[in-house]
Amino acid sequence: MKPWKRKFIHRGNKMKKWTICAVVLGLLSAAGWVVVFAQEDQYLERLDSWAFESPRRPGAVFSHDDHIMDLDDDCSICHHVYEEGELVPGESSEDYYCSDCHSLKVSPDNKMPLEAAYHNLCRDCHFDRGKGPVLCGECHIKE
Amino acid sequence: MNSFIAFIMGPMVWISAIIFVGGLLFKGISIIQSVRQKEPYIFSYMTVKHSLRSMGAWLVPFFPKSTRLRPVYYAISYLFHILLFVVPLFLASHIVLINEAFQVSWPALNDGLADWLTLLVIAALIFFAVRRQMVPEITYLTSAIDYLLILLVLLPFVTGFLAYHQWFAYRWMVVAHVLSGELMLIIIPFSRFSHMLTAPLTRAYMGSEFGNVRHARDW
Ligand code: HEC
Ligand code: HEC
Ligand code: HEC
Ligand code: HEC
Repeated sequence: MKPWKRKFIHRGNKMKKWTICAVVLGLLSAAGWVVVFAQEDQYLERLDSWAFESPRRPGAVFSHDDHIMDLDDDCSICHHVYEEGELVPGESSEDYYCSDCHSLKVSPDNKMPLEAAYHNLCRDCHFDRGKGPVLCGECHIKE
Repeated sequence: MNSFIAFIMGPMVWISAIIFVGGLLFKGISIIQSVRQKEPYIFSYMTVKHSLRSMGAWLVPFFPKSTRLRPVYYAISYLFHILLFVVPLFLASHIVLINEAFQVSWPALNDGLADWLTLLVIAALIFFAVRRQMVPEITYLTSAIDYLLILLVLLPFVTGFLAYHQWFAYRWMVVAHVLSGELMLIIIPFSRFSHMLTAPLTRAYMGSEFGNVRHARDW
């Protein structure tokens, strides 16, 4: 019979107790580990979630300066301008908030709701370049 | 690393979903086919009415007699099965991902509530494992694979809980979370977890046999 199908018939009481003790000990030490290694406070530059009605996540960590350096001072990569659905290269819209054009919900004027706009812009570039955060908690770092 | 994450959160989701759905379909078809070969007369008394009646009766908490014999185990098991589906399907983060992929969305559980419900699922799974150790009749029927399967369900919930709290090794926690969730989907059709398909089939058969042939109840 395959070992993993073998029934535990001959297992004595001693063994049982030890197994249970081991499980409980394991869980306790895991909890201890968590408490000991819990993160200390640190200051992080964040985006403001004010445009969302009731934010559910801590504001995303984002440093303008780091990105501008990495992206050759091209503001229009993020602050873009569209005309009749076509991206206008070289023109930028840094005088506007993303939420000025991207409403919270999809509407006739806006095919890209605000949350998806941020996620698609930020995360897709990080995926494309193989650098930068791509998981929820790497941007929405706990406060 | 980002391209690995892109793979497990992209194509790998599709691969596991296809194996999950395809595997269950294959299983369902082969069950029906083997019944057709060995005991085709079963179909002569199967009815939708008796099948649904039996499924309905078994969905009402504590309605079937046998569930009243072990009320604690049954209550935990009942709650566990509901949460097993409700927590992942109505988790805010999952809905964000689904919304971005398919532009569909539905109401989400509050994150704090989902956090507690996750702990309940974990507690229920630990209860199932301990029960296998403590109750002699069940120990007798238990093999290593049963604990492995419990572990397999435990993993996505534990890693998801730890990842949400961002306590340590966040990136690895999410990777483990995604991979263990996918592994669970893939294993379902090929393990005892296929009772998500066979349990309703059993009810349909029992409900029809008892209701339509013996004119009795199967609950
Ligand atoms: C990687 C993307 C990105 C790049 C590149 C970028 N920005 Fe921004 N910027 C943002 C985001 C996101 C905000 C927040 C927008 C909001 O709140 O709606 C912002 C806000 C601003 C604001 C609003 C004031 C503030 O800080 O709250 C100004 C001004 C601005 N950017 C200027 C620039 C200029 C000038 C450049 C080019 C040198 C630039 N940005 C490049 C993403 C970017
Ligand atoms: C001046 C208005 C305007 C501002 C400001 C603006 N966008 Fe857009 N954005 C648009 C329009 C228009 C589109 C095209 C939508 C469509 O597909 O029809 C667009 C498209 C997008 C897309 C989809 C791009 C693609 O390749 O499909 C993303 C992502 C996005 N915006 C993110 C942002 C973010 C993040 C900000 C803030 C940094 C921002 N946008 C600021 C008007 C704006
Ligand atoms: C056009 C590409 C691009 C866009 C758009 C972009 N990023 Fe980045 N981001 C990068 C790159 C490249 C790095 C990696 C920098 C490095 O590691 O040297 C990075 C790194 C980061 C980091 C880690 C910073 C660090 O010091 O390790 C954070 C946080 C981040 N991005 C947040 C954001 C957010 C939030 C947005 C959307 C508002 C965004 N990024 C949009 C390219 C981009
Ligand atoms: C690359 C960085 C990045 C990643 C990865 C990311 N987000 Fe975001 N997210 C943002 C930015 C930027 C905003 C808009 C500004 C803000 O609210 O911080 C945002 C906004 C949101 C919002 C709306 C605002 C709020 O607090 O309710 C939600 C919800 C959200 N993200 C959830 C998620 C979830 C869930 C994931 C993982 C599946 C995720 N995000 C991954 C950058 C990111």
